[in-house]
Amino acid sequence: MKDYFKYFDKLTFVLLLLLTVIGIFLIYSAGHSTQGIYYLKQTAWLVFSLLVFFIVFSLKIDFIFRKAFAVYLALLVILALQIVIGGTVARTKSWFRLWGIGFQFSEFVKIPLALYLAKILTQIEVIGAKVFIKVLTIIVVPVALIVLQPDMGVSFILCSFVPLVILLKKIKPSLLVVSLLLVVLSGIVGWYSVLKPYQKNRIISFLHPSEYRTSTGYHVIQSKIAIGSGGLGGKGYLKGSQSKYQFLPARHTDFIASVIGEEFGFINTSILFFIFFLVLYRQFKFNFQNDEEFYFIYLFNGLILFQFVINVSMAVGFFPILGISLPFVSYGGSSLLSFFIGEALIFRIKINNYLT
Amino acid sequence: MYLSKRKLTAEYVKKAVVVSTVFLIVIFAGIFLAFWSIQILQNEKYSRLAIKNITRLIELPAPRGLIVDRHGTVLAENKINFTLYLVRENVENLEKTIKMASFFSGKNAATVRQIIGKYKKYATFYRVPIKSNLSRSTVIFIQSRQDEFPEFEIGMEPSRTYPLADHAAHVLGQISEISEVELNAGSAATYGIGDLIGRSGIEKQYEQFLKGTKGSQTVIKNNVERIQRVSSEITPAIGDTVVLTLDLQLQEFIENLLGAENGAVGVLDLKTGGVLALVSKPEFNPEIFSREMGWEEWQAISNDPQKPLQDKFLQGIYSPGSVFKIIMALAGLQEKIITPASTVHCSGSQVFYDRVFHCWNPGGHGTVNLFSALQNSCNIYFYNLGKKLDIDTIARYARLMGLGSQSGIDLPNEKSGLVPDSAWKMNVFHQRWFPGETISVAIGHGSLNVTPVQMLKLIATVALRGQMPKLHLLQRIEKQGRTVSEFAPEFLRVPIAEENFELVIEGLFRVVNSEGTGWAAKMQGLDICGKTGTSQIIAKENPRYKKLTREKKFMPHSWFVSFAPRKNPRLAMVVLVEIGGDAGAIAAPLAAQIYNKYFENERLF
Repeated sequence: MKDYFKYFDKLTFVLLLLLTVIGIFLIYSAGHSTQGIYYLKQTAWLVFSLLVFFIVFSLKIDFIFRKAFAVYLALLVILALQIVIGGTVARTKSWFRLWGIGFQFSEFVKIPLALYLAKILTQIEVIGAKVFIKVLTIIVVPVALIVLQPDMGVSFILCSFVPLVILLKKIKPSLLVVSLLLVVLSGIVGWYSVLKPYQKNRIISFLHPSEYRTSTGYHVIQSKIAIGSGGLGGKGYLKGSQSKYQFLPARHTDFIASVIGEEFGFINTSILFFIFFLVLYRQFKFNFQNDEEFYFIYLFNGLILFQFVINVSMAVGFFPILGISLPFVSYGGSSLLSFFIGEALIFRIKINNYLT
Repeated sequence: MYLSKRKLTAEYVKKAVVVSTVFLIVIFAGIFLAFWSIQILQNEKYSRLAIKNITRLIELPAPRGLIVDRHGTVLAENKINFTLYLVRENVENLEKTIKMASFFSGKNAATVRQIIGKYKKYATFYRVPIKSNLSRSTVIFIQSRQDEFPEFEIGMEPSRTYPLADHAAHVLGQISEISEVELNAGSAATYGIGDLIGRSGIEKQYEQFLKGTKGSQTVIKNNVERIQRVSSEITPAIGDTVVLTLDLQLQEFIENLLGAENGAVGVLDLKTGGVLALVSKPEFNPEIFSREMGWEEWQAISNDPQKPLQDKFLQGIYSPGSVFKIIMALAGLQEKIITPASTVHCSGSQVFYDRVFHCWNPGGHGTVNLFSALQNSCNIYFYNLGKKLDIDTIARYARLMGLGSQSGIDLPNEKSGLVPDSAWKMNVFHQRWFPGETISVAIGHGSLNVTPVQMLKLIATVALRGQMPKLHLLQRIEKQGRTVSEFAPEFLRVPIAEENFELVIEGLFRVVNSEGTGWAAKMQGLDICGKTGTSQIIAKENPRYKKLTREKKFMPHSWFVSFAPRKNPRLAMVVLVEIGGDAGAIAAPLAAQIYNKYFENERLF
């Protein structure tokens, strides 16, 4: 037990906690003017997430990898059932209420998926056609289910596994061409059959924000105004006018980075980003005993990085608004819980290396 | 074991670490730069936009300045206009609300529903105006039971009111809402939508003093335009008080005196050039322009043949008739064509240029000189004088005495009238001047046109023996009880010898005091000098003249210009009665009554 404490990556853990606590303060500020209680819910989720973190941390890695595929299948079944039966929260079917708590199961898919992909990557030398189809299938099936929920953000994030897999393994050049074609094809199919008008508008308005100043482009412009008006030192906690007077949309979720930008300014926002940098940097450098562990950590950290970049880019208008939250910081219990579960696995992998 | 043993080479792992670290650094540097650009480089722009987002400037209208007469009697002031507003977001039961709104406003339910319908597109907290000019009792009723009617709000806006109803309406003028066209034409700097602006009379002339300085309120609003709080406020400043030379008592007296007669009367204080009374009949109530007016009401006023909206004093165009003989006499004397000793024989008519010209008195006046010619208004005398003076000389003297151009009184929209001469005829008709036309002009007819204010200026100049006063209504402008500017009397010397004025005045004295045409103005104890005039509507040459002028509407307008006393004159006056018939019988006695009213207080001592 003493050794566990000694080799536990305390700095990274504290940094993760810090991100979440900063997040709760920002969520409080975002909901302040409308008497929102999201900050209380998020605090409860943090406590719950930490509990789950240590439970997962205490489990054997081998056991977790062994059960990954079963969990993955179970989640697919749940997602499919949700579509069929469908609880409707916030216009989407992605929520599921359990004991009075809203669970967003789509958020959990990334962990068993990363674990299973890691297993596949371990078993091959080069990505051949057969493996490529298999990889694509296990990614596309949950993505499709989540698209139907509909939850564009989460499904888009899950797609980030495709380039990550290609980066981690050698791939036949012909398959690379095929995958590029697939991206184009899915883009076309998605545009004409899957995307809802409001989602298309978001993408169009991203390309021509000034023409959509008062409609969909409004969100991006308001976010940039919030961030830009924050300046070097910010307007002060709870004093951001863009946030306080509700010009900023989805302040506690997608645009939480705009809240910190407005109220805390460039210096403090940079510090927040530096914490992210430190966490990712520390989690990318580790020792491992099994190849699966290596692939899992790279896949999972890659996903966090991907989500972080997309969220921040959205806030400054570099990326269309897809409803992607800032990991650990944005409001969202299921998202927070799934990230802490993933982190628990990374912490466990890293500590195993010291203890044996 | 489910998991496989480590097979990845150290090289591969090292490469992965290096690649991912470089990746991280590049990505974070990019984000850092993006935020740097927005938060530091473009901070000013976005700060401005953020402030623009949350602030709104609300203009606070300034109450208009007062208009008062020389004794401080208020002629124009402001009252509060109460407006009933409905706030849709506070409505619980729409049907009940519509019923109540209908009850409060006196409009039927369908109309109320229609009004609310017009504001469907606005946010629900927007105030929908249901009715303006709410009665005081309704206001008190709603305000005392505000808890029961949370959906109703009472708004207060200043509005213009003229407490003395239609007295001096033409002098005061009108105000109305500024138009979009005017705003686009450049008034936007000082006016905004919904602002009232002076349209005529003193309201227009002294607009810049009366309008006051608008205040403003900077409010903080949220994304749906709902006001959160007031951040700063500049209180509006009421407009300056315009003190007029007008004597309301005299004004009212004259208005009542004229009764149903149409026409214009002006009374001038000769010491200062200040106008004491300025009447144009019929009158109208200027308040009709500060409130909503129905189409029918507007049609009725604007199409009234008696032209109540026209200020006849400034805009009425009449031929001066025999009043013009004053100018003829001055011109003849100054040009040394005549002396008081020159005589003419009047037999009732005389032939000029193969045409017979009549005197008004068919029996003739016998031998007449300058004084008797003025006294009896003998046409033959002035026909002969006109023949000796050419038209251009007559026109020159007419202009010297202020005809053919605006009098310069401080009221807007003044007409100039017309002084014909040979150049004018050539320009307009491309014809040379016929000498016969001069004969008509010599007794104030022909193309000659004047306004009553020009006649007032003319007689004032005669009274002052050639000192032409600047006519004005403004006495002073006061800001919060302190005088900020005061009118200084101005007189302009007319290049006609003083003794010639004395000679004409002798004639004008006889008009009133020696059984002349103005005999009816004669008063015990006051030396009134004057001149009558008859302004033909139908030419005398018209074969049906006698028959037609028996009908009221074709009767001539009657003039009486006068001043008093003869020495050290104090008052000048013009009386014009439209279709008044015989000037001596109609206009002159009215003048006498006005003098009597003005001087009655003094004679008590």
